[in-house]
Amino acid sequence: MAARTPSAGGPTRRSVLITALVTFAGVATARVLGVRDLSTGFTLRPRSAPAMDPMDDAMDMAMDMPESEVIPAEMAPEPMATASAPPLQAAATASPAPVRATTPTRTPAPTARPTSTPAAVAAMPPIAPPRVSGFDWASPLESEKARVAHLLRRATFGATDAELDAAQADGYARTVERLVETPPAEPQAPAAIAADANARIGIGDLQAWWTDWMLRSPTPFAEKMTLFWHGHFVSDYRKSQTNPMYWQNRTWRQFSLGKLADMLHRVTIDQAMLRYLDLATSTGRNPNENYARELMEIFTMGAGTFSEDDVKAGAKALAGWRLPRATESVRTGVFDPSRAYAGTLTFLGKTGTFDTTSVIDRVLAQDVTAAYIARQVAEHFISPFVADAYVARIAARFRSSGYQTRTLMREVFLSPEFTSPDAYRALVKGPTEFMVSAAKAIGSASLGRAIAAAGTGLGQNLFDPPSVGGWGDNAAWVSASTMLARANFVSTALGATRTLPPSTSAVARHLDGVLGPETARELATTSDDRRRWLVILSSPEFQLK
Amino acid sequence: MNEVGINKITRRDFLQKGLVFGAGAAGLAAGYAAVPDVFARAVYGAKRDGVMNDRVLVMIQLAGGADGLQTVIPLQDSRLRTLRPRLSAAADQALPMNAQLGLNRNLRGIKALWDQGKVAVVNGVGYPRPSFSHFDSIRVWETGDPTRRQVEGWLGKTIAKNYDSQGHPLVGCACGTTSVPGALRDLEATLTVVNGQSSFRFSSADAERAMGAIYNGTPGIYGALFDTAVYTARDTVARLRTAREAYVPKAQYSDNARLVYSSRNQLGAALQLAAELIISGAGAKILHVTLGGWDTHDQQLARHDSLMAYLDQAVTAFHADLGAYGMADRVLVATWSEFGRRPQETANGGTDHGTASSMLLVGDTVKGGVYGQMPSLTALDRTGNLAYTVDFRSVYQEILASHLKVDAREVLDQSFERTPFIA
Repeated sequence: MAARTPSAGGPTRRSVLITALVTFAGVATARVLGVRDLSTGFTLRPRSAPAMDPMDDAMDMAMDMPESEVIPAEMAPEPMATASAPPLQAAATASPAPVRATTPTRTPAPTARPTSTPAAVAAMPPIAPPRVSGFDWASPLESEKARVAHLLRRATFGATDAELDAAQADGYARTVERLVETPPAEPQAPAAIAADANARIGIGDLQAWWTDWMLRSPTPFAEKMTLFWHGHFVSDYRKSQTNPMYWQNRTWRQFSLGKLADMLHRVTIDQAMLRYLDLATSTGRNPNENYARELMEIFTMGAGTFSEDDVKAGAKALAGWRLPRATESVRTGVFDPSRAYAGTLTFLGKTGTFDTTSVIDRVLAQDVTAAYIARQVAEHFISPFVADAYVARIAARFRSSGYQTRTLMREVFLSPEFTSPDAYRALVKGPTEFMVSAAKAIGSASLGRAIAAAGTGLGQNLFDPPSVGGWGDNAAWVSASTMLARANFVSTALGATRTLPPSTSAVARHLDGVLGPETARELATTSDDRRRWLVILSSPEFQLK
Repeated sequence: MNEVGINKITRRDFLQKGLVFGAGAAGLAAGYAAVPDVFARAVYGAKRDGVMNDRVLVMIQLAGGADGLQTVIPLQDSRLRTLRPRLSAAADQALPMNAQLGLNRNLRGIKALWDQGKVAVVNGVGYPRPSFSHFDSIRVWETGDPTRRQVEGWLGKTIAKNYDSQGHPLVGCACGTTSVPGALRDLEATLTVVNGQSSFRFSSADAERAMGAIYNGTPGIYGALFDTAVYTARDTVARLRTAREAYVPKAQYSDNARLVYSSRNQLGAALQLAAELIISGAGAKILHVTLGGWDTHDQQLARHDSLMAYLDQAVTAFHADLGAYGMADRVLVATWSEFGRRPQETANGGTDHGTASSMLLVGDTVKGGVYGQMPSLTALDRTGNLAYTVDFRSVYQEILASHLKVDAREVLDQSFERTPFIA
């Protein structure tokens, strides 16, 4: 392929915005104070480079601050490199508009930037394309408070004010212990199932039952893990039906932090899974390859780590399960020896007779398995760019613990990489995470059904992953369609919430006080709580975790 | 510590992780000035002379591995009866194209277009050393590269090489989905994704204004991705507002075909949206829609047939709609799937993952007929699968060179024997 020049000024991790909290008129907001070049440590570059323009723009929102308060980038002292630095005390009075610049060093803003007046909207098209930043977020994670907020964004679904206060009082290490050691709280059955265990539950009711519990559960980490496994050990309600998906959800929660071998056994004989990947119809005589293939390719080992002969042998070895009959009280598959394969097989390099347990043991004996699972977890919870060496390190601990998922998760949360600057805002919140975290931020616990209903538009319809590979992540969540749907969800959520918490502390609580220039500028234009919440929840900062 | 734990990000990482959408914003305002009128017929920002034509491509992905032998069915091969005692019933009801081959009984509308010489069937399409993994094989088809070295999608690359997508984000558009399909990905291509026509609007003017103000120069590795997505959303919302006034469907799009499993795909709605983008002159050039549900490990006879009906209704309505607006001579519809299915049926009346399959190409520019040798059912490979006879890139090449009239070699990196289905 012919080499092509990378896009000019494309996003890199080479430089970060440096922001700090500013308080004026009782409204906390953030100011961009400079940039930091990551490739040269904390050295600040001169502001003459074209790439520095965004910072110049940001100076627009310096408001009426005395010039002495504005710290030009080239003069900013190193400690200012974090947003967790003590808020600057600004002498400014509230004068949200017109915004004017006060810095003598300011240069004209670049062209082709959309103006923000309603008249400009009416005049569309043309809409000017966005300019490119080239800067990265300044990590505030040296601060323990910021680390705790970071942990709750990733290990749970963001936090209510009360949850955040409690966790920050506990500190980082104790919060990790509490998250991984507290047994999952079990949700009550949905009304229909509570009345009659065999009543058919509708998909909308099933989704709302879960999103509601995400909002209210005292152990939201268990819900995050249940969602993770839902996207990993995939079934969908279309093929598997809603009631089996309901029971599967309860099983995933129950086994979410236990031993992988137990989880895999339950996954294999789960009713929804038996239907979804056709193991229920596979027999030793007429094996169906679907489950055996995906067990290795998607669930445990990864593509290219096994042969087609392993698929065929695995299919025979796993055959024998059927769905429970209405007269049987069990909710898992039932093993029928007459459907199984009795002969000798060669599976993953070992010859002998196999059953489901020995197939799972054989999979867990492969060196690739721990690394495959560990990479899934690390990319999901830390960064899409985790290094092989890091994965190998946590995989070794995972395997030596006997594949205890709890151990793996503790290892991830306590590893320095989890709170390193490179991990800060390195992940895009998934649709459900985004919506639940927004509802929690505004203290609205009654949005479960709205969240469930909006899932499809944002790209994540619960109990309905797009394929056996589950949902995408990060960039896959971002498109014209989904960003529009996210903005519209914010309007729905705010419209449905009569009393909003004051927005004053929201930037510090939910965005660590680390704001990009345009978000900061937009927040500075209004002191109205409802409009500020609209900006906060719609902002790129809030889409990230 | 961080140096070890988290890798520095490379350009390749950006593509592999999907952090695409062409971030280089320089000179874009100029691209806009080149679009005087959104209702002008076929206004595309062409980067090159010679590609300023009015041709449009619509790729339909049949996700899950659509069976070829129940789509384009061998009528005379007794071996089919042996391999598929139950599924070969499809041959009895097939709509004969000639003495040897028939279309699935539910492709009635497409058969009518076949009779008018507007349908090409390419048999035996596959690639060397086939993968049985959905995701691996999808990637091969998306990148047009069986060696798995490429990370750009072949359609994204076509857009990046030939069209000014940053000035015209609807040049490449995925309809009826929420994420960018791999085939459209390229670091230097700007793309739009429109899930549904009616829902594609901001529910509050304040939110629309705020989004436009905030998503500009967003920091971080996702910054350009976010900004471009919001920019294309705002642009497309504005264009659809006008498109709604310029377009009234002139065919019946129905998503009511009965499926064995209810489908998440609104193919009819997605193609209607595609028609709207084309007919209203919004600047659409390469469109992508997906119909899933083809992974028929069981009950294939009924499941595949019901999906065929769904496909047939949507494609037929789309073609009729374009025809009513006098645009059917501009638009090529092509189906693709990551693989076909195994000739031998399973005990559940389904089939496992296979290899080569047939592609359907529909449009007035098509030279109707059967292309490619149907693979032999007696000389199956070691895995019990069909040996491909036509490299899928030869089909891509014809689409690129003869329909879109762009340099195919630049996208595919090599030349293939011609499969001349374009007139």
